[in-house]
Amino acid sequence: MRKGKLWSFALIMLLVLSTALAACSGGDDQEGSGDKDKDAADKGGSENKTLVFGRGGDSTSLDPSRVTEGETFKVTVNLFETLLNFGEQDTTIQPGLAKEYDTSEDGLTYTFQLEEGVKFHDGTDFNAEAVVKNFERWANGDSDTFPYYNSMFGGFKDDEEHVIESVKADGNSTVIITLKRPQAPFLKNLAMSMFAISSPTAFEKGDDEYERNPVGTGPFKFVEWKPNETITIEKNEDYWQEGLPKLDRIIFQAIPDNSARLNALLSGEIDLADGINPADGVKIEDNDALQLFERPSMNVGYLGLTVTREPFDKKEVRQAMNYAIDKQSIIDSFFEGRAEVAKNPMPSSISGYNEDVEAYAYDPEKAKELLKEAGLENGFEMELWAMPVPRPYMPDGTKVAEAIQSNLADVGIKAKIVSYEWATYLDKASKGEADAFMLGWTGDNGDADNFLYVLLDEDNIGSNNYTYFKNDETHKLFLEAQTEVDEDKRIELYKQAQEILHEEAPWVPLAHSIPLLGGAKELTGFVPHPTGSDLLSNVEFK
Amino acid sequence: MSEFTPKVDGVVEAELEKTIGPWREAWVGFRKSKVAVVGAAIVIFFIVLALFGPLVTKEGINEQFMTDRLQPPSSEYWFGTDDFGRDIFSRIIHGARISLSVGFFSVVGSIVVGSFLGIIAGYYGRWIDTIISRIFDIMLAFPSILLAIAIVSVLGPSLRNALIAIAIINVPNFGRLIRSKVLSIKEDEYIIAAKAIGMKDFRILFSHILPNSMAPVIVQGTLAIATAILEAAALGFLGLGAEAPYPEWGKMLADSKDYLQNAPWTMIFPGLAIMLTVLGFNLMGDGLRDALDPKMKS
Repeated sequence: MRKGKLWSFALIMLLVLSTALAACSGGDDQEGSGDKDKDAADKGGSENKTLVFGRGGDSTSLDPSRVTEGETFKVTVNLFETLLNFGEQDTTIQPGLAKEYDTSEDGLTYTFQLEEGVKFHDGTDFNAEAVVKNFERWANGDSDTFPYYNSMFGGFKDDEEHVIESVKADGNSTVIITLKRPQAPFLKNLAMSMFAISSPTAFEKGDDEYERNPVGTGPFKFVEWKPNETITIEKNEDYWQEGLPKLDRIIFQAIPDNSARLNALLSGEIDLADGINPADGVKIEDNDALQLFERPSMNVGYLGLTVTREPFDKKEVRQAMNYAIDKQSIIDSFFEGRAEVAKNPMPSSISGYNEDVEAYAYDPEKAKELLKEAGLENGFEMELWAMPVPRPYMPDGTKVAEAIQSNLADVGIKAKIVSYEWATYLDKASKGEADAFMLGWTGDNGDADNFLYVLLDEDNIGSNNYTYFKNDETHKLFLEAQTEVDEDKRIELYKQAQEILHEEAPWVPLAHSIPLLGGAKELTGFVPHPTGSDLLSNVEFK
Repeated sequence: MSEFTPKVDGVVEAELEKTIGPWREAWVGFRKSKVAVVGAAIVIFFIVLALFGPLVTKEGINEQFMTDRLQPPSSEYWFGTDDFGRDIFSRIIHGARISLSVGFFSVVGSIVVGSFLGIIAGYYGRWIDTIISRIFDIMLAFPSILLAIAIVSVLGPSLRNALIAIAIINVPNFGRLIRSKVLSIKEDEYIIAAKAIGMKDFRILFSHILPNSMAPVIVQGTLAIATAILEAAALGFLGLGAEAPYPEWGKMLADSKDYLQNAPWTMIFPGLAIMLTVLGFNLMGDGLRDALDPKMKS
């Protein structure tokens, strides 16, 4: 008996030992092949030239003109170019595919001088004719195919509100755009990622085909798209700007969970990670192998109050909500202080921001008073919609919702937290089915119009105006501001509008956050852009 | 069976054995197993906690003190505080009430429904049996947690619906158990006798068959409470169970997972609470099975 036990013990030890050894050698093998892969990617070079960029979600399309969604622009900004560009880290107007531009006195005619000798990735020439074809394609579409064109240029070809009168080619490298009425943010609109110039030969094959096979003039070319996993793009060897891009290949990898993405960064699986939890910022700062990037803030996170639903149809109730919520402590706790308390629907970096608006203080007593005025001294019950996904403007929707819930309970409002899957959430909220919902917005062109008009005007009810807020005065102000070319007058109009919005309180503005990114220490040349779409042509590994 | 043991041990002992009923006998058997007693002790501890704990903990377990968030365990906060500055110790004690009642009531629900269906299937047989058994088979073909998720998704996430979902997924387990028991009991002499004297089906079913098939159900029930607590925690973790701000253990775990590295106590204590209760019920269930199963007796 004894002997038998001894034998089996020895046998087990042997097994354990061999398993352990096998595991070790397996690890070695993997590392070896990993190195080989890297070498292959470097084409024999000693340095790493492939960037893996981890982000929260996959793109929905690779044709930027067809979406309004940031994850698409993150990729397409590297594949395509626009006539004009934004500044490296702001939204000033810089030359792009148009090296020079000229505006007529009346603000109706714009003349663009294009770069010469630029080619699309498919080898066809970029010229004035191509630009005209792109604009024709958009103008002949409808709001399903080109939704952002619709909201930026007031409709399509036959619509009365359509801003663009004509787009004409004058010779090979001059484009003249004529407007029906002046549009103040016109140049900024042109610099938005969605109005990038595509190869006409490529998109003429059909929209659906083109969406998966984008062809632009940008520093990188499209290689492969594995849905919900990776999008791979590689260096455009014939890029017209000398010495760019510096990387050979970029892989955009979708990792939905913030902590999982951080772990991938810590383990070196990815080189750059978007959407770092504010709480994890310190961890990256303390790590010698990593660096922390702060994206300049151009966003707003808010609690929208659907004004068509009781009791939020009463202004007093909406104001009471504003007084009841302790924004500062929410920011201290869930943004780790990396945010600014919001009082207006747009951040202070946008021109036209109204400093003089006096923020609603955290004052539960005042809130109770207002509720009493509205005849609701016993409070009421409501649904509080919490975002199911982390977004740059709201790192943890459910947590913030719980904090709001407790704030509201203090003034007698019983809030039930509900949440849906993200697409459903947006869809139901846009139909006005939420009492109060959390949401946010990242500006796409740095203009006040892109916040106030897009989010709170009656024209955008059903699309981006989820609160169904409607006000004749602000509507007039927004439309006037759109056509006002004098910058000072325009700022004045937006300031007035913000006063009204503050008084009417369709939102509880919460925060303007500073989104965080983490990257490998060796990474240089990465400059996070406030719009959230980062051009990566200057990025390299030291 | 003790009545039939040959009485060679002496009169006194035989008389003593006569006075011991089957339940008393089970209790004696149960007490013999140390592990089972430990399990029972844990269970009783949590039950006492659930019943009386909330009376002694701090007021306002849902009140948030943002200045005291993520405090490590200390003499003031025994288990530390969570990311809303709430006392984790108090919340776990309140959570015991939630978890135990979900476990208990969902299992009672499945026993009632399962026994009813199982008895009918087993006693009447034929097509009724076929239909009920096939439905059970279909339900058992799904991984139980997946089925629970599906049910909660349809009903909408809330604690009550999580309880219903857990009750539903456990019905076939009890149903099949009772059915097989009924199949063997209904051939027993006393049932045939009852039939012979013209007793109604209803009475046979509920006053003879049901009480006599209860022993395995009790064992299975204790074990099922453990699984039910675990399933409720899993649903809570997935955001399909208790709503905020209820201190449900699974939800507490999910809420703290971002703080795993910064503030591990926010996860350790709810995790421990789940582990201990489940362990307690499992040990107790095992002990009960040994005590109630006639085959295990020497």
